[in-house]
Amino acid sequence: MTRYDAIVIGAGAGGGVAAGVLAEAGKRVLLLERGRKLSFADVPRDHLRNQRLSQYGHNAGPDIEGNPRVFQGRNASYVIPPHDPGYSGNAACVGSGTLVYGAQAWRFMPQDFRMASIYGVPEGSSLADWPIGYDDLAPYYERAEWEIGVAGDRDAMKHLPSYDKAYPMPPQSPNLQGQTARRGAAALGWHTLPIPLLINSVPYNNRPACIRCQQCVGFACPVDAKNGTKNTVIARAMASGNCDLVAEAMVERITVSDAGRVTGVVYINRAGERLEVEADVVVVSGGAIETARLLLNSASKQEPNGLGNNSDQVGRHLQGHYYPGATGLFEDLVQDNVGPGATTATCEFNHDNDGIIGGGMLADDFILMPIAFWKRKLPPDLPRWGAANKAFMRDNYQRVMDITGPVQEIPSPDARVTLDQNVRDHLGVRVAHLSGTTHPETVRTATFMHQRAREWLTAAGAIKVWGNERPGLYLSGGQHQAGTCRMGDDPSTSVVDRWSKVHGHDNLYIADSSVHVTNGGFNPVLTIMALSFRTALHIVDTW
Amino acid sequence: MLSTRQVEVLRAAVNRIIPADEFPGGWEGGVGDYLFRQFERDLKDQVETYAQGLDSLDAEAQSVYGKPFDELDAESQDQLLAQVELGDVKTAWTVNPGAFVQMLAEHCAEGYYSDPTNNGGNRDGIAWKMIGYEVSG
Repeated sequence: MTRYDAIVIGAGAGGGVAAGVLAEAGKRVLLLERGRKLSFADVPRDHLRNQRLSQYGHNAGPDIEGNPRVFQGRNASYVIPPHDPGYSGNAACVGSGTLVYGAQAWRFMPQDFRMASIYGVPEGSSLADWPIGYDDLAPYYERAEWEIGVAGDRDAMKHLPSYDKAYPMPPQSPNLQGQTARRGAAALGWHTLPIPLLINSVPYNNRPACIRCQQCVGFACPVDAKNGTKNTVIARAMASGNCDLVAEAMVERITVSDAGRVTGVVYINRAGERLEVEADVVVVSGGAIETARLLLNSASKQEPNGLGNNSDQVGRHLQGHYYPGATGLFEDLVQDNVGPGATTATCEFNHDNDGIIGGGMLADDFILMPIAFWKRKLPPDLPRWGAANKAFMRDNYQRVMDITGPVQEIPSPDARVTLDQNVRDHLGVRVAHLSGTTHPETVRTATFMHQRAREWLTAAGAIKVWGNERPGLYLSGGQHQAGTCRMGDDPSTSVVDRWSKVHGHDNLYIADSSVHVTNGGFNPVLTIMALSFRTALHIVDTW
Repeated sequence: MLSTRQVEVLRAAVNRIIPADEFPGGWEGGVGDYLFRQFERDLKDQVETYAQGLDSLDAEAQSVYGKPFDELDAESQDQLLAQVELGDVKTAWTVNPGAFVQMLAEHCAEGYYSDPTNNGGNRDGIAWKMIGYEVSG
């Protein structure tokens, strides 16, 4: 049987980093990815089928046919395809979301690792502290910033402890919208900062600088200036000669010995053949939903409810980010077509808000595809058709800006991934069943943040402001999905230990957002990468 | 597929959902091309709804104004569509009238404002020029 030192399952943010570190340390690595390896030309700039607006499909996987999930509604469950909003989809391809993301590169704040200690545990929530803190992760944040490549301004990050090392690239200059936002924040006395981006602001890593195009988030980069795992750590893993990357390889289950020790995986290749491969170490990086699904699909005699699941924790605490925000109409132009668009953020409201548990970052937004603008951003009192609708589009597309941002969610143990009892994918593997909602405190925070977004727009000069004032209670997840295999010292309330090793196993690790105890009020990708650096280096150090 | 008659009504309706001004109306702007493409793709299952909705719209026009929909003046077409959107109809519709108008508006916007390359509407990027969305790279 084929044997490797390590198998990494999933070539996204976490898996890509893990494969890179292990291969460069001389380990023989098999990197399995269920999606395809896509070039820029393989990812259509289709405004109705992309990871930003998936009206009729996606451009970066998973395939619409044959990959359903089941969504539990209030009264019934629904079998849904990957482009349904309830699916909580993320790109399935080599690089995963990092191929098509907006690339915001935030560190979590020290407080984000200590939510329960700071705020207490609201009734019905599973809010908890991480077993590690910001200082444990800071060196690996730095490593991700340099090895993947972040453009930002260290000195502006006043919400964080000072960095040891500045970013490798200066921040992008603000566009018209960013300048407007900065003026508004200054009037309010709010500190703003350039959004750190995993995008080259100057040539870096032998690739060019961003050309400031208008089709960034949701699409691949036309000049390869967007830094994901595919063009950095995965490329390095391949260059080391120690990594075999197999795309279109769906792992059916993780295999274990009679004694319950992890021995490898069974995967199904493009030709539909089932192949068993052995390894000393298995790293699971499928994203919060697929990682949980795989563990649950890998039951053994010792763990009949799924690997790592003897405490019924696998799949629970599913969270993502509510994105409250507001839209403002200005008299003057604010959208000057200088992309990617988002340049300016404030972290004034991530913590220390009266009566609110946590908070979130707020920022201006990426340039909106016109059809996304039409579907999501028109004022609620505007007719949906006719001369007035067309005139608003014509007159105001460049006079509207959005302020929005991710809210730190308060997790609920009932927001969870289980295996559906009936539905299987096209390969015959049981699919994820999503149920529950976030905790009501998340809604309270989102409502609070919406008001801050309104204030910001008004101070920036908006003559009219609108947005959803009363978000409802729903299941979050989406591209920022996290929390389903949480990290902790106590095996009865967590799935992995402080090194992301699954409790009760000595060779099974998780390197993705599943391990996040809480998900910060920030885009989570840099934290996923930093944790994966830390985990993979630990695997090497303790080999 | 839609009958020739249904396409005539569709064209007239599309041109009121997105009326011509100094920039083209919906049909000339590519919405028809978009819809025909989608009727064989993602909107396959909605073709029958379109057929019934367009027949009903035409019958409604006959009932209220005594003329086919596409022969009404623009003002009457707008008024009729607005009433249909509110569900205020005089004839027996075989589809939900309000939902039909809303669906039509949604699909017209998709054809007019999305990318020409992959979706076949927005002829020569005219809607993007109109609103000031520039594409580089």
